[in-house]
Amino acid sequence: MPFSEAIAIALQSLRAHKLRSFLTVLGILIGVSSVIAVVAITEGLDRYMSDKVLELGTRAFRVQQMPDIITSHEQWREMMKRKRVTMDDVGAVRRACSLCSDIGALIATGGSVKRGRTLQKNVRIMGITENVSRIGAIRELEAGRHLVPQDIEQDRMVAVVGTDLVDAFFGSMEPIGKEIDVDGHFLRVVGVAEKKGSVFGESQDNFVWMPITTFQKLYGVRRSVDIQAEARTMADFEAAQDQARVAMRARRHLTYDKPDDFTIETGESIMDLWQSATRGIYVVTIVVTAISLLIGGIVVMNIMLVSVAERIQEIGIRKAMGARRGDILRQFLVESVVLSGFGGLLGVIGAAALSFLLAAVLGNIMATPFTAPVRPWAVALALSVSSAVGLVAGLYPANRAAALDPVVALRNE
Amino acid sequence: MSTPAREAGSGANPIIRAEGLWRTYQMGAEEIHALRGVSFTIDKGEYVAVMGPSGSGKSTLMNLIGCLDTPTSGTYVLRGKVVSEMNDDELAAVRNREIGFVFQTFNLLPRATALHNVELPLVYAGMAKERRIGQAKAALEMVDLTDRMNHRPNELSGGQRQRVAIARALVMSPSILLADEPTGNLDSATGEELMRLFGRLHGQGHTIILVTHERDIADHALRTIRLRDGQIESDVRKGG
Repeated sequence: MPFSEAIAIALQSLRAHKLRSFLTVLGILIGVSSVIAVVAITEGLDRYMSDKVLELGTRAFRVQQMPDIITSHEQWREMMKRKRVTMDDVGAVRRACSLCSDIGALIATGGSVKRGRTLQKNVRIMGITENVSRIGAIRELEAGRHLVPQDIEQDRMVAVVGTDLVDAFFGSMEPIGKEIDVDGHFLRVVGVAEKKGSVFGESQDNFVWMPITTFQKLYGVRRSVDIQAEARTMADFEAAQDQARVAMRARRHLTYDKPDDFTIETGESIMDLWQSATRGIYVVTIVVTAISLLIGGIVVMNIMLVSVAERIQEIGIRKAMGARRGDILRQFLVESVVLSGFGGLLGVIGAAALSFLLAAVLGNIMATPFTAPVRPWAVALALSVSSAVGLVAGLYPANRAAALDPVVALRNE
Repeated sequence: MSTPAREAGSGANPIIRAEGLWRTYQMGAEEIHALRGVSFTIDKGEYVAVMGPSGSGKSTLMNLIGCLDTPTSGTYVLRGKVVSEMNDDELAAVRNREIGFVFQTFNLLPRATALHNVELPLVYAGMAKERRIGQAKAALEMVDLTDRMNHRPNELSGGQRQRVAIARALVMSPSILLADEPTGNLDSATGEELMRLFGRLHGQGHTIILVTHERDIADHALRTIRLRDGQIESDVRKGG
């Protein structure tokens, strides 16, 4: 029997039992759509993350007391024991790092900013050297001027603010030259930073920049400083980090057998962390998919056994008309594969809908356009895996059908 | 394969030669002998009725003649081929080419059209689609059903269904037409009509073997083999 004939028979029997076929392939549908959707969503997030990390600047790195992400309380306590990074450390790194194009410093805290009766909460209050806005991701201004070296030298009471504060305090009024109350200290607004939107739902525009010297005058010198550095070229990136590391270790008199008591963060280290999290998601997805495909396969096998039992007489007729064992075997195997492949196809459609929906929801949460592309390789993999499930699940029922004795099969009513 | 020797006393052209056919079924510990040494020959163009009460072994004999089953012992030679020694796939090929089955319950595929039902043996013969359809249409024409070829079995009367089955049996131009109680599910008028069709086919040179327990039906045949208890009781030719 030609293959096309087997496919025609399979489609006919599928059409004859629409609901049953749909219910049969539900497990495969869920397995396939979850794997494609998760791949699409993680890939979308990956892209989103790398976009955001790129924005941090690929040649930029930071030397700081603690890592950005702390995973346990024990680690946090350990990190708290570390020495703070001071302005003297900044000077030492600046002198040592010949491969750095620029080195700045930043101290940050959280607090409230007031103007008149209007209160803006959870503002990131930062003291910076004037070059921080140029290191890594460049932050342009919408209005006014950047902080200048004189602001730092003379610890002037001036500030560059994010657009969230402008929206809260000034509306359409001119903000430049006005005073704002930062934790009880009055600073004059000299510039407004361009709007950046939000990352993972957190606004990037709710901040105040003041000279780092002013910050230390207002908040004291006990806070640890983040050293912001940028390598001259991408090729010098690792070497520049090493220069900074050696300088820091020398200042702390660390012997060769001691680990760093500070952290160097790069975009790469954030990406690494992200990717290890993504790998976890993939592993879970693969397990979930494997389970649903296994169950899906068992359901398909079960329904194929039913299908064979229902059609014993048909098998008898076909055998009487000259169908060989192989013909019957092929007929039922093709039917099983077509059934499961149909489930895989529905799964692909479901996945496309699911990732579109999730992308819209995530995009909404993060307030940025977000896409979750359904990859052709994921679709191809899903279809071939579901067909393979059909093949395996169909083997036993098809073999039973093929082995039927024509006399017995014909007698079956 | 050797050409079978001509049987003494039989016609010139034996199409079936059965020698000492035994068929034994195992029912638990007990052995049941459905056939006990049956021998006969059937020539090309003969019209034979196989008769006998139920339990006489005529269904078993029909399964052997139709190559659906093989004898426990004895030799069955169909058109020079020793069927009794064939494996499953060889039997399937013989059924496909040499045997045209007509069943009491028609045994059409319910979801397929009349045309597709008739095509079925051609599908398993590996014939290309266009040729298949042409040949199936020609077979339906022989039984006057060209106007019903796109109907499904449940849209056809019993007589029409049996004619579809006959078209299906004829489509491969088999050596023998093997009919098992072909009128069993038909009213007597339709049954008579069907028997006239068999008569016409016999007139065209087809070899027909009719398995029945009805004397009226068997009377249409020119030779009657009677079975009882798994053995041939009598073998009578009309007018000779």
